[in-house]
Amino acid sequence: MTPRVFSPLVLFLVIGFLIGPFFIIVAASLSGGETLAFPPQGFSLRWVAKVFTVESFQESFAISMLLAIGGTAAALVLGVPASYALSRYKLPFGETIRTIVSLPIIVPGIIVGLALLRYIVVPFGLNITLTLFLAHTALVLPYAVRVVSASLNNLRSDIEEAAVLLGSSRAGAFFRVVMPNIRSGILAAFILGFVTSFNQVPVSLFLSGPGVRTLPIDMLSYMEITYDPSVAALSALLAFMSIGIVFLAERFLGFSRYV
Amino acid sequence: MFQNRAEALALALPAAVFAAIVFLAPVVILLAEGFRSADSWSLSAYTTFFSDPLNRTVFLRTFRLGLMVTVVSAVIGYAAAFAIVNLTPRSKGQMIGLVVLPLMISSVARTYAWIVILGRTGIVNQALQFVGLSDEPIRFLFTETAVFIGLLQLFLPLMILSLISALENMPKDAIPAARVLGANWFQVFFKVILPLTKEGLVIGGTLVFTGSLTAYITPAILGGSKVLMLETLLYQRVTVANDFVAASVIAFILIVMSFAANLLLKRLATARNKR
Repeated sequence: MTPRVFSPLVLFLVIGFLIGPFFIIVAASLSGGETLAFPPQGFSLRWVAKVFTVESFQESFAISMLLAIGGTAAALVLGVPASYALSRYKLPFGETIRTIVSLPIIVPGIIVGLALLRYIVVPFGLNITLTLFLAHTALVLPYAVRVVSASLNNLRSDIEEAAVLLGSSRAGAFFRVVMPNIRSGILAAFILGFVTSFNQVPVSLFLSGPGVRTLPIDMLSYMEITYDPSVAALSALLAFMSIGIVFLAERFLGFSRYV
Repeated sequence: MFQNRAEALALALPAAVFAAIVFLAPVVILLAEGFRSADSWSLSAYTTFFSDPLNRTVFLRTFRLGLMVTVVSAVIGYAAAFAIVNLTPRSKGQMIGLVVLPLMISSVARTYAWIVILGRTGIVNQALQFVGLSDEPIRFLFTETAVFIGLLQLFLPLMILSLISALENMPKDAIPAARVLGANWFQVFFKVILPLTKEGLVIGGTLVFTGSLTAYITPAILGGSKVLMLETLLYQRVTVANDFVAASVIAFILIVMSFAANLLLKRLATARNKR
């Protein structure tokens, strides 16, 4: 139905443009040379191995993991009840609440980071790790609400009304009837939140200092000092981690339905 | 629909209060700072900001690059989305997977790859010298072109995905009908396809435009201090000059631009629902 000239060539070029750089990163990280180069000079796993020995990478990886898992879990603890209230109740100021909760997605992250540094960390002397945790929770909250709301909207609300009519408490109906039905939506929200939090830079930019750094920020500052392929190797490893997580999620949950 | 208001608020308020305290309040205070000078409200910070030619350059560059990335990604996006929509269901799924894939990869990694490609000893320079088009390495890094390429790769998937869903929602026989009635492909695109997929274009465009305006990593890595954009300028103002007033002005500009784009999107989305 469309001109034949478009299809194969255009698609090849576009996909190449989108994916090509990723293969180059992988190839460059397998190089035996001293500096980042493509085509790789010889084959070696030395830079991949080096990633695991750099101490700051280990520390920042642990911090990023903690923030991504903890922040996403906290966002779900706040977000699931809010989504439920927004979709099932006549909520006073419902639209206002929805807007406030989804704002962090619209406001550029660097501004959030700076605002938190200036008005939370400095005046209240709040711990940096705790502030990072709060920031990542706020960042993931809109995604959690959006994905969980989508799966709640796909679920008929009369089943929990039926459970309540049959004598279950409201909470009992939620945990025994609603939760099992939106479990995959919650998992999808968790994965999306994890990947978003783990890969995000601007929010953490101002909140990272010596000692406490997320992994992407650590990679940025490492790149300023050295030009060796270890950041390429780390990038490739992280990319495979994200792809693996998303692939499994898609495979078992049909993840893309919610995003 | 449950009616109990107290119950509803008890469920929804923790999230709203959290977002208000951790996010909304600090950002509002930060923005207010740009309108205060000597204990009174004024716009002097804004006039000072725009009187500096460097700031004006950065502002215009950010806006220009945002628009260019949006327009180019729309053109490429339509071509790619067409090609994908016409595939068999199986290969369509695989192609969509390949388009989504880069979104899962850290933008640090994605941007970093362009250093290997565009650097002094990068692939592009090696190829140019090999075929004899140039004797010396050409400087690609730290140019607007590099930032443009990086942003395009970062945000093109979002445009392609929204155009795919727009094209799939289009009535299947609209194009053959227009062709039978004698329209050429140019007319088909502008008179049939574009109006029918306008909404997908707007959604994709908003995502790409606001994304490009507010990207930090790509201009930081590929543009450096040579090609400052509003985000990198904000970072530099704070860390180098400790100038929080300028930072607040930049923050306000970024937020206004990103809200305006989102408002436009909402407008267009509700306009469709009314129809």
